[in-house]
Amino acid sequence: MTLNDLRYLSITEVAAGIRQKDFSSVELTKACLEQINAIDAKLHSFITVTADLALQQAEQADLELRSGKDRGSLHGVPIALKDLYATKAIRTTCHSAVLEHWMPDHDATTVTKLRDAGTILLGKLGMHEFAFGGPSVDAPFPAVNNPWNTAHIPGGSSSGSGAALAAGLCYGALGSDTGGSIRTPSSHCGVVGLKPTYGRVSRYGVIPLSWSLDHAGPMARSVEDCAILLQAIACYDAKDPASANVAVPDFRAGLKDGIKGIRVGVPRAHWFDENKGTDPQTETVFNEALQVLENLGAVVVEIDGLPFSIARKANQTILIAEAYAYHEKTLQSTPEKFGSSVRRRMLEGAFLSAADYITAQRARSELNEQIRANFSRVDVFTTPTAPRPPEAFESMDPNEQNLRPSFTNPFNLTGLPAISVPCGFTQGELPVGLQIVAQPFEESVALRVAYAFEQATEWHKRRPNI
Amino acid sequence: MTLEELSVLALQAGLKLTQDELQRLLPGVNRSRIQVAQLRDLMKEDQEPAGVFSAQKAQSR
Repeated sequence: MTLNDLRYLSITEVAAGIRQKDFSSVELTKACLEQINAIDAKLHSFITVTADLALQQAEQADLELRSGKDRGSLHGVPIALKDLYATKAIRTTCHSAVLEHWMPDHDATTVTKLRDAGTILLGKLGMHEFAFGGPSVDAPFPAVNNPWNTAHIPGGSSSGSGAALAAGLCYGALGSDTGGSIRTPSSHCGVVGLKPTYGRVSRYGVIPLSWSLDHAGPMARSVEDCAILLQAIACYDAKDPASANVAVPDFRAGLKDGIKGIRVGVPRAHWFDENKGTDPQTETVFNEALQVLENLGAVVVEIDGLPFSIARKANQTILIAEAYAYHEKTLQSTPEKFGSSVRRRMLEGAFLSAADYITAQRARSELNEQIRANFSRVDVFTTPTAPRPPEAFESMDPNEQNLRPSFTNPFNLTGLPAISVPCGFTQGELPVGLQIVAQPFEESVALRVAYAFEQATEWHKRRPNI
Repeated sequence: MTLEELSVLALQAGLKLTQDELQRLLPGVNRSRIQVAQLRDLMKEDQEPAGVFSAQKAQSR
């Protein structure tokens, strides 16, 4: 097998290949490291490459398999982590000068779970500084580029996770999502990303942006790979105060059951008529995706009367207030260590009152009640993941971005599980994602709909020319 | 909010910001305040905030 043959295998194919001795975990890891060396200078998706550790872990994985110890689907599979997951004795920067040299003395719970599952850590991935705002021009590490067109943004804040997967530099990754930071880069890079239900995956050891909105979750090149990664990291964790003590199902069990009769809610009235920021090409691609779902037997239900227009405002208010609270001391003592745009956005939180924060939390309750009431009429919601395709760095205005409608924000406020799956391309060959949202702790339903869509289309098979 | 008011609030918050920084910050601060005012107008009077303290959960840490 050549490097290129290995590059875009799925996790399932990699697991089978290792067991059939088509290749070893060491060979696979070396192939990934060679690809990173060859390609990543164009993308900047990695901040830190842990080559020695990866090869050591791969040798151990091969040794274990030879001696009969099999840790399951992720045994020997090379992955990478957004650089806000604490990794013991491995630099964890949050893409910021504030933590440029920080060596955590602990692992995030998710990191421990992935290691126990036998994964190989290739390194730590670039992101938006502290998972906030847009790509920074004045951070100590370069902004990540989109593999489909390096002049365009990859979306964020889990930008390195999206770019590395799309470029075939790793087989799975973790991102984090406070307002869309798993789903947006998944959409912009043509990969799959799942924001699980709030409480499903531990946030312990994940540097916070906004405690009540932050979600940790998997990103991969296929829906099934996302399910495999979620299986490994989902758990109750007493170290995370928001962790939910609920049963963890087999996320792959019903994946292939089809979606005949499933009711798909489309809140089009709000997201296409009321907000003017939706790109016409995105809308066209989305409508074609709905047709695919209908052809598979789903029933599309138009939904209105939901207060989605308040979601962006409530999300921004809560996020800014909580982010400022977390970073207050550093912003007071060494503000120059933050990039200018992140610093400015975080400082806005200093001027919100307690009543402002409570007002946003009241709006959150309102949104939550109304969205959940609609689950008597539908099984899932669906929207485009992002209102626009990835913009060129040159024309990007982070201030304007903050004012646009968001299709992802409402589901951070409500904590509902939401997945983005590739659903088409613009005329400029940039990917578009479809978001599917399910009821609390029904990730399996979101995964099933996404899988049915993925298998009925070819979009996930396209690769960037990088 | 005016630049002068923002300057006073920044000092009260323990932030040392230059006039230039305050000037750049002002539009965002005012935008946030407008957003909150819009949310306030939309709220039903009896709507309680999200977020509930759980004594049981605090104990289990």
